[in-house]
Amino acid sequence: MPPRIAHVDDDSDIRESVQRILLKNGYEVDSYLSMQEFIDSLQDETKKPDLAILDVMVESMDAGLTTYAKIHKQYPQIQTIFLTSLGDMIRPYFEDGSHEWVCIMEKPVEPISLMATINERLKKAGEAA
Amino acid sequence: MASTEFSWNKPNTQSVLLEIKGDKLKLSDDVLISNIRWFITFRWILVATLVFFEILMLSTSDALMQLGISEQQKWPIAIIIVLIVANIAYIFALDHCKPGKYNSPSTNLWIQIIVDLICLSVVVHYIGSTSTPISFFYVLHIALACIFFSTRESLYVTILVCFMDSIVIMIDNFLITQAPLSTLINNQFLSESARKDGALIWMFFLDILFFVVWYVVSRLSLIVRAHEHHLLDAYRKINQAQVEKDQYALLITHQLKSPLDAIRSKINLIKEGYLGETTLEISTALEQIDHRAKNMSSLILDLLRLERLKDTCLDTAVFEYVEIQSALQKCIEKLTPVASSKNVALNLSIENFICKVIPDQLEILIENIITNAITYSHENTSVEISSKVDRNNFRANITITDHGIGIEEKDLPNIFNEYFYSPRAALHNKASSGIGLSIVKIAAENNQLKIKVTSEPGVGTTFTVAFSTIEFPAATGSAIPIPLINTSLS
Repeated sequence: MPPRIAHVDDDSDIRESVQRILLKNGYEVDSYLSMQEFIDSLQDETKKPDLAILDVMVESMDAGLTTYAKIHKQYPQIQTIFLTSLGDMIRPYFEDGSHEWVCIMEKPVEPISLMATINERLKKAGEAA
Repeated sequence: MASTEFSWNKPNTQSVLLEIKGDKLKLSDDVLISNIRWFITFRWILVATLVFFEILMLSTSDALMQLGISEQQKWPIAIIIVLIVANIAYIFALDHCKPGKYNSPSTNLWIQIIVDLICLSVVVHYIGSTSTPISFFYVLHIALACIFFSTRESLYVTILVCFMDSIVIMIDNFLITQAPLSTLINNQFLSESARKDGALIWMFFLDILFFVVWYVVSRLSLIVRAHEHHLLDAYRKINQAQVEKDQYALLITHQLKSPLDAIRSKINLIKEGYLGETTLEISTALEQIDHRAKNMSSLILDLLRLERLKDTCLDTAVFEYVEIQSALQKCIEKLTPVASSKNVALNLSIENFICKVIPDQLEILIENIITNAITYSHENTSVEISSKVDRNNFRANITITDHGIGIEEKDLPNIFNEYFYSPRAALHNKASSGIGLSIVKIAAENNQLKIKVTSEPGVGTTFTVAFSTIEFPAATGSAIPIPLINTSLS
């Protein structure tokens, strides 16, 4: 079964771009407009992703970060990548500046580096399991 | 060749910030502890003075004998011993005992005041409670109590002082018939009843004086404390406002950059062939669009960076020890692709050292200077990045030299100004935002670094970042041989 990836972004153009790249590379993709939609989807076991790509500023300043905190606690096996316009500038909003375990990518979406990062994260998850 | 040195001195606000971070109770505890240490030092000085006088007395005992003092006094030695033992006990309680209910800074201070008062009372008794002005030293204790304790606690101290002083006067004048030391010196002989009346009046006026001093100083101290509180409140509000301002800047940056990111994401899809084949002309046009959009994105991020650097109140602005080798290598890794695209080689030679800086800001500073060097380099040249350590003076320099367009002498003093525009530079680099070096300036200012710029138009520019206090890594030889990183495209 191909890895399942959840993508949350309120920008339809970004959603479409990511979806196109992932589908073409053989992944299953669920795109969500809001963090709540994504959290609700986690109730359904069949929809639980292997990796989540989260925007940071959806609806509010730090919706992405609070969602991350929530799902990381409940489902530690789900890998997370932050895809944000602000790149490293959001670091100060992470407590303790956790450089090791948070993966931040700056927009725009670049197919090659996005795929490389996703594969690396999934590999890491596979090794840990 | 023109050369200019830049150094920006900024008042150090770090300590104020640290104080604001703690809650009020912690702050006052910190203040108490620093004052306890001051008292202890003060007491050591007092002990040293007493010891000096004691030695002086011993060596000149013959002369004193002639003055009429035949009896060798034992009390100064007792006072010296008590003060030394007490001082050691205070230090022990402060540094080696766990703070608890019975070992708080306030308890420590109370014990100090009581012991000091007892010692002072003994001194007053032997020197002369009514015949010398020694009793006025009690005022010192009242004033200190008013400054460091609450009004009520300082009142207790005042009452204690009055009580002790009264007891000493009573003992001297009503219980002991033998004349004190001072009367021996002064040779004043008053009649018994007149002396007693005088003592009572003296005691009465002294107690009044103590209460008046308590009232005045405690009022003053209340006013000062109220001001201190307002100041703290204001600092807190400023901090809060700065955090809000940063969030606002973040939001605006996000809103400005998001559309560009969406556009560039689509361009990337086309470039990578996700939307089918394109002609060469379309690809070239897209490349140009992407290039312009990219410059605009970096300008937007630079603006945010500049705003952030100005607000050093953010939690991230904490000084840490940084190894320069890893910091430089991190920057080089990041900038190698940029250098490669211009066929510029980055040559690195590092002498490692450790400096105390704000890590993120040091990286931004180095990154911006190197980016600048790459941007204004001619193609197929190199940028030399090296660090040199002055072991004798604990200083170090990082120099970044390019072989590019250089800076004209008249422009040199202005290059760190925000939005400074030089037509020559703009001709070379159309994407210049004019804030790269302002970012360097603010980062240097926040980290207390000096920058020297030497340049010759058409030949190149050298930026020297001077670190005035450095440390050396634990195990290190002299210059660490670093393989030259050559990023030229072959």
